[in-house]
Amino acid sequence: MTAAPANLPRPARRPSNLLPMLGVALAALLLYWPLMLWANSGQAARSLASGADLGCTTALACATQLRNPVIPAPGQFATGFTSLSVPPLAPTSAPYNALVTGGETLLGLALASVLGLVLATLLVRSRSFERATLPWLVASQTVPIVALAPMLAVLLGQYGVQGFLPKAIIAAYIAFFPIAIGMAQGLRSPDPLQLDLMRTYRASPAQVFGLLQVPASLPYLFTSLKVAATAALVGSIVAEISTISFSGLGKMLAENSRASDTVALWVIMIYGAALGIVLVALIGGLERLVTRWRPPA
Amino acid sequence: MTASRPTSDAPIVSVRDLQMIFPTPGGQTVALQDANLQIMPGEFISLIGPSGCGKTTLLRLMADLIQPTGGELLVNGGTPRKARENRAYGYVFQAPALMEWRNVLNNVKLPLDVMNTPKAERDSRAREMLKLVGLEKFERSYPWQLSGGMQQRVSIARALAFDPPLLFMDEPFGALDEITRENLNLELLRLWRETGKTVVFVTHSISEAVFLSTRVVVMTARPGKIEGIVDIGLPHPRSDDSREDPRFFEYATQIRELLKKGHS
Ligand SMILES: Nc1ncnc2c1ncn2[C@@H]1O[C@H](COP(=O)(O)OP(=O)(O)O)[C@@H](O)[C@H]1O
Ligand SMILES: [Mg+2]
Repeated sequence: MTAAPANLPRPARRPSNLLPMLGVALAALLLYWPLMLWANSGQAARSLASGADLGCTTALACATQLRNPVIPAPGQFATGFTSLSVPPLAPTSAPYNALVTGGETLLGLALASVLGLVLATLLVRSRSFERATLPWLVASQTVPIVALAPMLAVLLGQYGVQGFLPKAIIAAYIAFFPIAIGMAQGLRSPDPLQLDLMRTYRASPAQVFGLLQVPASLPYLFTSLKVAATAALVGSIVAEISTISFSGLGKMLAENSRASDTVALWVIMIYGAALGIVLVALIGGLERLVTRWRPPA
Repeated sequence: MTASRPTSDAPIVSVRDLQMIFPTPGGQTVALQDANLQIMPGEFISLIGPSGCGKTTLLRLMADLIQPTGGELLVNGGTPRKARENRAYGYVFQAPALMEWRNVLNNVKLPLDVMNTPKAERDSRAREMLKLVGLEKFERSYPWQLSGGMQQRVSIARALAFDPPLLFMDEPFGALDEITRENLNLELLRLWRETGKTVVFVTHSISEAVFLSTRVVVMTARPGKIEGIVDIGLPHPRSDDSREDPRFFEYATQIRELLKKGHS
């Protein structure tokens, strides 16, 4: 049993998916221009016919000059972005409001993780708990969040819970379910041999939980966190729209849709999408940090 | 660290009329019937037989991982449960069953973590075991970075880490190639000689059983039972030369005959 030299299999670097992603972005850019002209020209033609002075003469030329375009022209995007992004931390700026929404979502995810872990533990421990609660947990997710959010906000308000926290709680309400189900699956994932092994050591149930079940469930936790993150983001934005809010992307969406400012709505939507990507990337980073022991995918 | 070794004239494992019947859909499986066996401290016992003859079942019974439906079983003079609670044995499973999130060193430390061994001792003890199985250079590697043979060596080091007087090994080398297997056999024999542990070893391989054991328990299937026991009189320490000894072939033939007898 001579020791082989310690040249461990080092994984080949995974081919980056940057190039294919850029390819799709390029295709989208190429499509954008004709699509924008086509989408806006109808409205431009109607405006011209009604005699409005747009400073242009043909529908095609006017398609880039509309006040509330279906799809903004590049110049409109540029001014929209600047006016909503500079200075970034002003209360009316999209970056500031994205931070608020992101914070609510992260807090919601943290709350949901704690609740999800507790529920998953109980679900795995007790069949009767599972039989009694699982249908209700499923039912809790069928309530439309748009209907639930204002009521929750009012109820929480009566207990003095205001501002940031109600949104986080509503985000958590959506996020806890996938986390609980994923964690329950993870806690059940250890190999029967690994459980037998712990038994040969006379390990206590707490040791089996802490040394075997919890570490085995971490990959499951992160998979469900990624699913939960986008759902939680929808939750906090809906909560901001449907309750009295003073900041957040949802509040900006509500204001600008009342003002029919389509350029601003587009910009906020893009900020929302970017926020979602950042949240999922954050969780992915945390996952790589926590589960360093895994072979690279 | 564990229960003291019993005096050498008392069996460390005593099996009397042991029976194990599993309920199965639409009937029952007699996995083990009328099994009788006394294992003395310091012996190296191999259980050999076709698959399904109850080798794993017998080992799991001794380890208190399942409870018998009949007969008597004593380990270390008490019930298997008491032996398990005294951490009297180490168990090497058919698969390495390593914890993927622990590196090699921490996998070997697992039993010491569970048993709350003083922290300072855990590292040195685990390193000692890794050296014993020749993996000291790999202590920082994770299981997926190791070959099957290396993983199984880690699981052997792990079973030895808390110095149990008894070692149960269920086809630990079953999935390995012949060369790795023979190397590990030599290594295991050296370990057994140096530590004086009692080993109960399950195998499919006649030559492996003869090479390793002081006695070979031949089992046959349907229902699982002990067909006969062959004393292996080859001198120790054994080496590759022992495989050339004429007696080696005699013992192998005896075992083969017993296996055939059960088949007819
Ligand atoms: N938990 C179980 N439930 C039902 N049948 C079992 C169980 N464990 C083993 N058996 C049956 O008992 C017999 C002996 O199995 P086993 O001890 O694993 O054989 P071996 O290890 O010699 O290959 C087989 O027929 C097997 O199907
Ligand atoms: Mg078996």
